[in-house]
Amino acid sequence: MAVNRLSGSDLHGASEWGSESLACGRDAATAWDRAEVGVTPDEHERGCPHCAAAFADARRLDSVVHRMSNADVEPPPSVMDRVMAAVRTDLRPHDLLALDSPHGPARLSRPAAAAVLRNVVDRMGGVRARSCRIEQLDGRDDADVTITVTARFGVDLASVTARVRQMVLAAGEQALGVPVRRVDIEVVDVFDSSVDGAVDGAGGGKDGRR
Amino acid sequence: MTHGTPPVRLHVGDAAVARIAAQRARRVPGVVALRADLAQALLGIADAVLGQERTPRTDGVKAAVNGDSAEVTVTVVTRLGHNCRDVARAVQREVADEIARHTGLQVQVSVTVADILLD
Repeated sequence: MAVNRLSGSDLHGASEWGSESLACGRDAATAWDRAEVGVTPDEHERGCPHCAAAFADARRLDSVVHRMSNADVEPPPSVMDRVMAAVRTDLRPHDLLALDSPHGPARLSRPAAAAVLRNVVDRMGGVRARSCRIEQLDGRDDADVTITVTARFGVDLASVTARVRQMVLAAGEQALGVPVRRVDIEVVDVFDSSVDGAVDGAGGGKDGRR
Repeated sequence: MTHGTPPVRLHVGDAAVARIAAQRARRVPGVVALRADLAQALLGIADAVLGQERTPRTDGVKAAVNGDSAEVTVTVVTRLGHNCRDVARAVQREVADEIARHTGLQVQVSVTVADILLD
């Protein structure tokens, strides 16, 4: 698989929006790239929670994307499952994203793609995805992603958004095959760390104001 | 047995093409299943209820033969960990090659990735 080193487009993205810095001042994309290539963390990165989190994100996505799933067979579906699957499959044209292919029309379910992006963001520490919208302009195969997240109470929001952005860019390319042109992230709530991991989407945010 | 070789015209039916496509698509790495559309699912259920499995089904595949070319639509389900674009391209390539090999038809294959299993 063409590993997403994409230095070209990453650099492009960074210059377009100004660099996306972690709270420690390091660039999120740089940290990600270093982790992806497998560089041993330098002294700063070993001690810095923000860089460590960025490293962990990159590794986590890597373990998901490159875990070649054993060829499991789908269990025989019940009648209800079959009907519901078929209903969901009755995708209208606007439910589909275009995939770039030299062999003819290739499309991807938009709800399924959004579910993947929410899923990879959910696996990150300190963030939960709420909603995810993927928009493609007519005739283009790259996409703009708008994602709303809740963050754990007390995490640095600038770092979190930089990490989420990086995760979405990488997952779009590696898991979906849809290049992501733009990521808009809205932190809509914070949740209490005591329920982190226990209850999903427990938006029990105190009136935390940072 | 009389004069020379009589002209033979071969026409390959839609169902034959669909069957080849379904069989090949299912074996592409990353394809977990083919996904029936609503009409196919309801027909399948009707068959099951009435106790008559008429022919092995080609859920998730539609084919239309037109002269010496064909259009095939395949709807697949994949799993997180496989790149959707690469899976779609592989299905298009493999299915078109397989049909061409068996029937000589020129095929345009459209692929839809309808779902991604997350596990």
